Amino acid sequence: MSAAAGRLRRFAVRVGAMAWKEILHVRRDPRTLVLALIMPVVMLLLFGYGVSFDLERIPLAISDQDHTEASRRLARAYVAANEFAPAGGAGAEEALTLFRRREARAMLVLPRGYGQELARGGPARAQLLVDGADPVTATQILSKSDAIALGETRRMAEASGAAVAPPIQVKLWIRYNPEARSAVFIVPGMAAYLMAIVAVLLTALTIAGEWERGSMEQLFASPVGRLEIVLGKLLPYLGLGLLQLLLVLAVGAGAFDVPIRGSIWLVVLAGLLFLAGMLGQGLFISVVARSQLVATQAGTLSSLLPSMLLSGMLVPIENMPLPLRLLSRIIPARYLVDALRQVLLKGNGIEGIWKDLLWMLGFAVVVLGLATVRFKRRVA
Amino acid sequence: MSRAAPVRRRRALVQYAAVVRKEVLQTIRDRRIMFMLVMAPFIQTVVLGFAVDFDVDRVPTVVADGDRSPLSREHVRRVLADGTLRFAGTAPSAEVGVAGLDAGEAAAVLVIPPRFAADLAAGRPAEVQVVLDGTDPNRSNVAGAAVARYFGEEGRRAAESAARAAGLAVPARIEVTPRVFFNPSLKTAPYVIPGIAAMLLVVVTTIVTAMGLSREREQGTLEQVAVTPIPPAWLLAGKMTPFVFIGFFDVLLLIASGVWVFDVPLRGNLGVLALGTLVYLLSTLGVGLLVSSISTTQQQSFLGGLLFTLPAVMLSGIMTPIDAMPPWMQAITLLNPLRYYQELARANLMKGAGLADVWPQLLALLAFGVAIFGLATVRFRKRLK
Repeated sequence: MSAAAGRLRRFAVRVGAMAWKEILHVRRDPRTLVLALIMPVVMLLLFGYGVSFDLERIPLAISDQDHTEASRRLARAYVAANEFAPAGGAGAEEALTLFRRREARAMLVLPRGYGQELARGGPARAQLLVDGADPVTATQILSKSDAIALGETRRMAEASGAAVAPPIQVKLWIRYNPEARSAVFIVPGMAAYLMAIVAVLLTALTIAGEWERGSMEQLFASPVGRLEIVLGKLLPYLGLGLLQLLLVLAVGAGAFDVPIRGSIWLVVLAGLLFLAGMLGQGLFISVVARSQLVATQAGTLSSLLPSMLLSGMLVPIENMPLPLRLLSRIIPARYLVDALRQVLLKGNGIEGIWKDLLWMLGFAVVVLGLATVRFKRRVA
Repeated sequence: MSRAAPVRRRRALVQYAAVVRKEVLQTIRDRRIMFMLVMAPFIQTVVLGFAVDFDVDRVPTVVADGDRSPLSREHVRRVLADGTLRFAGTAPSAEVGVAGLDAGEAAAVLVIPPRFAADLAAGRPAEVQVVLDGTDPNRSNVAGAAVARYFGEEGRRAAESAARAAGLAVPARIEVTPRVFFNPSLKTAPYVIPGIAAMLLVVVTTIVTAMGLSREREQGTLEQVAVTPIPPAWLLAGKMTPFVFIGFFDVLLLIASGVWVFDVPLRGNLGVLALGTLVYLLSTLGVGLLVSSISTTQQQSFLGGLLFTLPAVMLSGIMTPIDAMPPWMQAITLLNPLRYYQELARANLMKGAGLADVWPQLLALLAFGVAIFGLATVRFRKRLK
């Protein structure tokens, strides 16, 4: 019994020594540390302020060939709601040039006879030319234009007294993020993304660096066991990753009012499970790649891009084709993003995220197991 | 004097060729690097092209129909038919539906009140409620707008027929017919793929250059070469040349896969795109060089490269429209080479823009390239001394 306890203690001491050595490495290289901690803040600020698909005052060229009160009223309705802003002059030629040069994203054409048609009561037709090169903006233009045309029609009907209020009213109730702020959407995803960078790539780079320099063999010659070396090397990065997570959450809460509605301990638990998997992946890459250059590219390919694009951080998963939806199931970031959104935004507890936690645990166990096996074979 | 110059130039060329040859041999020898530089961008493009679809559809929707009348069922069927919302089950009440929203089983709940049909028949207004998961603002906006549009149109039609039945004048209607140019089916891929090209070129060239040079410094081989009679500028040029070719190859591969897999149109002159790519590479390689000249280890180079790459991608308009950024951030994008390359590539491929249209972008890229490369060379030379 005491022999086992003694062995455990020696194990802990050796892992601690390895971890300390690694911490010294990191400390001796403050630039890496600063970069690893500054990057999340910079990225978060940029993302928080910059990532938005929602356009206001979309430049609109107006070509009014009708020159009637009615045509002018529709043109005014387009720019009144601040959804569109008039871009430059109003001549037909000029409008077309603005549209061609992309200075206007859309062009409203009010043909001759528009006002007459409207007065006669028949449907009055106008045309909207839309620049579809950017489909996100184009979709917004289409739906905004629809709403404006419908609103004008209704306004006229009410003014003429021909109809009462529309019989079916739609009431929208937006939960969790009622002001539709992008930052609230982005912060949980950013946390996963930045942790993936640090955990996978920094681990892969430092361990690949030891192989490159041949210092790994020196470590093996010491009485420290293989497992202890691995654990010791991973521990400081686990700490760094957690620090990043807390930093991201703090900046998110401070600068963008991202709520923390659930338990912070659940967030930390989810973060730890995620980091364990990411560190395992970094270890695995470093064992296979051996050189830092290859490890970077492999890490970028296998963790950075999937963490950003297949995790649901920016692009909803349900829109993807089936093979990618399946692939996203083995991307741990997907589960972390989901767990963070549930805990932070919805205030859910363990009953909401236990599946996410299990998936991350499973990933961590498999990858760490694989990496250890490869690592042992590599040094044997 | 006049005879010495050509000799010197010839000698420089020979030296340059030797460096290029060495770099090419070294790169080809490492098959994993070749795979990462050539195949990885290809795989990424295909995956990204399929994954990045900003078109919001199939939003999982739970229906809480408190009325259960033929009319309410008909409305539900038709709201769901347009594809923006996807039926994800029914809930006995609005509360149960909202609980499903909390659990993440649905992203929208459509609530039809009890007595919906009876109210309408009696001429009383009825209220339909949509509860949305606002976590993803883009998605909740589009889903909400789809339902509002459907019922708005229904309401208008009902008012019209009511007016007709009462013998009143039918209120006039405004119809705005949209016509979409350049990308009529509003597919995301043709828009995203040129952006991906800009993004991958930075990852491949900037970070690889920065790390490659740092590795040489770590191993001390850079100092060894520095004591040979090769002038530093030629040495650098030689080291960069293979990456220019790899970059070109990657762009070709990306565009080819974009055209074949994702129907990206090829409307422009490829020569203009090639010219743009060349000037763009000057910037990305220059940044790599600059990063390596201020870092001492590969780790630092990697992080430094990333610290440039990620914000540069963010502020380029590749993923989100520049117009949607706050003004101060739009001003920063003017200093971002990725922005100009992205604009150039998109205008060239999708709209067939030629030199006459994209010369401002080309000029900006050239200015950046020369400035960054010049700065990096100066710093690098100082480091070697």
